[in-house]
Amino acid sequence: MTPRQSPVQLARAVVVSAVALALLAYASAVPWSYHSGHAARLRLSWSARPERIETCRTLSEAELAARPAHMRQRVECEGHAATYLLRVSVDSQLVNESVVHGAGLRNDRPMYLLRDVDVAPGTRRIRVSFTRREQTDDDAAAFAPAAASDADTGMYAGRAQREATERARRAGAAVPAQLVIDTTLTFADRGVHVITFDPERRSLQVSRGALERSTSPPTVPHDY
Amino acid sequence: MQRLARLTRRCLTALDAIASRVYGWPWNPLHQSGTVAVAMLLALVGTGIYLLLVYRLGAPADSVARIAADPWLGSWIRTLHRYASDLFVLAAALHAARMFAQGRDWGPRTLAWVSGVLLLLLGLLCAWTGYVMAWDTFGERLAREGARLLDVLPVFSEPLSRIFAGDGAVPSAFFFVNLFAHIVLPLGAGVGLWLHVSRLARPTLLPPTRVMWSILGALTVASVLWPAALGSAADAFTLPLSTPLDLVAAWWLPLSERMSAGAAWSVASVIFIALLLVPRFNRRPRTGAWAPSHVDTRLCTGCNQCPQDCPWDAITMVKRDDDRPTLVAHVDASKCVSCGVCAGSCAPMGVGPLGRSGRDQLSVLRTRILPEITAQPSAIVAVCCAQAPASHIAALRARGAAIHDVPCVGNLHSSVVELLVRQGARGVIVCGCPPRDCVGREGPKWLGERFYAQREAELQPRVDTARVWVATLATGDLAGTLSTFDDFAQRVAALPSPDREHDVQLQAECEPVAAAAPATAPATAPATAPATAPATAPAQ
Ligand code: HEM
Ligand code: SF4
Ligand code: SF4
Repeated sequence: MTPRQSPVQLARAVVVSAVALALLAYASAVPWSYHSGHAARLRLSWSARPERIETCRTLSEAELAARPAHMRQRVECEGHAATYLLRVSVDSQLVNESVVHGAGLRNDRPMYLLRDVDVAPGTRRIRVSFTRREQTDDDAAAFAPAAASDADTGMYAGRAQREATERARRAGAAVPAQLVIDTTLTFADRGVHVITFDPERRSLQVSRGALERSTSPPTVPHDY
Repeated sequence: MQRLARLTRRCLTALDAIASRVYGWPWNPLHQSGTVAVAMLLALVGTGIYLLLVYRLGAPADSVARIAADPWLGSWIRTLHRYASDLFVLAAALHAARMFAQGRDWGPRTLAWVSGVLLLLLGLLCAWTGYVMAWDTFGERLAREGARLLDVLPVFSEPLSRIFAGDGAVPSAFFFVNLFAHIVLPLGAGVGLWLHVSRLARPTLLPPTRVMWSILGALTVASVLWPAALGSAADAFTLPLSTPLDLVAAWWLPLSERMSAGAAWSVASVIFIALLLVPRFNRRPRTGAWAPSHVDTRLCTGCNQCPQDCPWDAITMVKRDDDRPTLVAHVDASKCVSCGVCAGSCAPMGVGPLGRSGRDQLSVLRTRILPEITAQPSAIVAVCCAQAPASHIAALRARGAAIHDVPCVGNLHSSVVELLVRQGARGVIVCGCPPRDCVGREGPKWLGERFYAQREAELQPRVDTARVWVATLATGDLAGTLSTFDDFAQRVAALPSPDREHDVQLQAECEPVAAAAPATAPATAPATAPATAPATAPAQ
């Protein structure tokens, strides 16, 4: 009932299988173009907290006394997270201008920024600015230690100072009102430079990875 | 949908024809696509365990490059892992296409279909995470695309894409989560596979030994000869000109990269939902050819054979509601796919879908084919499965055979063949499909056992078996069909002219089958039940 295979059929089966497998092997790693040979990229990538734009008010003794004990805060602030204007120019030409705001429904979470800007390889003057859009009159109230009062005695001793320190800490954790980097970068063919916000130096920096590579050019095989 | 199914069927028939011609139908790998996918899953687990032992989370690209550079083990095992994953995807897609083309995708098969779609999706996701593990330019490309797609979902507070931006090293937590997914997904596939075949009786999980080892051997040779390409290590500061792309397991990547993330999600969701809804679109009213099987309790002797034969475990033996001492068969319509295999399993002809029980088959025979034999006594009757290729049937007809078609040879009651022979047919050749391509799953298998191995509802010894032959009609093997027919025709031509019996009495007896048969069941239940429907069916 089961047909037997002749040597010719067997040979045919072997040849067809070999062709099918060669096709499978080819299909499993087809060279697929990704980027053009004459391209380079400027990448902006950072995360930072937006500032809070607040209007602060020092409460009077009477107002403070009217609050429940655990809500007695000498300086009361109301506000929202700031938004920022990102401007990127390459060789003095503006190539990207966009508004960036914090994540989350109320935009008060950290901002995550990731932008890829195509540039032509070569030496380019790059200017990136990241500027708070909201004008604030004077943040003095937020930073100034509130005057000590009777309410700051006993278990509340030094509270006004603590509040001021906390507000200052929050302000310090936020991105500065203006960040600018103006630099000249050399882009190799298919090279990428990354500009990032360095929270320690509180400034925009060019990531070292690409710079290191520019001293020893990438040894990437031509096809992959 | 029906038109698409017909088109798919036509394409598969063409492919089947080529494969049967090249390998011979018993080893046609296309008939084995579901089981080949299982074999590939096993190969993936085997090779995956080795790769897991030598992979280093702390230096993914380096460790994979080292594996690829090891000519003794690493290179071919890694390549085999990749080729097996490609073949898994191909085999699963072919298997799905076959199920769709054969209309095996609705009703009680819905669970198999839906879990199959999920299995295929798991396979693609697993390949995705596997490539990312290698962290070459292709892995990075896949990771970037994955991050881009995930970033539009309101799931992660920080965009995942920043992981690969280059302002810091890719965190090892990323590779850990990816590895975790690459291990958990196949475990999910294992559970999915269990679910996939959970409704089937006796699921066949592996291809025939020869097919399985040939495929594994051939893949291994290919892995040695053509090691899979590895891109250079991923580098956030260099834009690769091109990357290797797996067009089988990551065919979607070039399409997805050309779309916005929202559009890619929409297209993927539409495809996914459309696939899940196929059983809904393809379902038929459970009447006529699609009516579930039905037990005539007056005829059922409680022999417990049909539950043994049903490929979908749709029949159980239950208590009778009359005073007879046996159990009675009961069909669960929600599990019955109307394959009709039970009709061939019941000696007293008490079960079968509407119009297809043994009794119905005999009455069709009397009106349709017996007059033809009476008119042309030397004719050979070819009892053919309705799924058989039309060209083969036409060729048999051209050879002078009288064609009698049945929905599946597994439905065929042996009494039909007995009646044909005793009514003077020169010979009866029963033509089924290749066993692994049977829409009723086990039709040719049970037919063979009923005719040659005394399986219950067997061909009675009083039938001159020299005049009976079981053949396989395989797409692409017309020559085989014709030579089998010609051989048989020659053999029966050498036999004396058949005697035509008048008043043929077909004794339908069945013996209880051990498993669930009640102790009280009579050893030989005379198929006598009611006078109104005698189990001994007189011819004409
Ligand atoms: C991805 C891996 C898959 C594997 C390993 C697999 C494996 C199997 C196996 C072993 C069987 C049992 C065959 C038998 O005993 O007759 C089966 C049946 C089935 N599979 Fe799959 N399958 C896969 C994917 C799919 C897909 C993607 C679909 C459809 C979308 C599908 C639909 C079905 C159906 C409907 C059946 C029931 C067949 C019948 O009615 O006789 N499978 N599968
Ligand atoms: S037709 Fe008969 S054998 Fe087929 S699934 Fe239904 S009960 Fe089972
Ligand atoms: S007689 Fe046997 S095969 Fe027929 S219906 Fe009853 S249990 Fe099933």
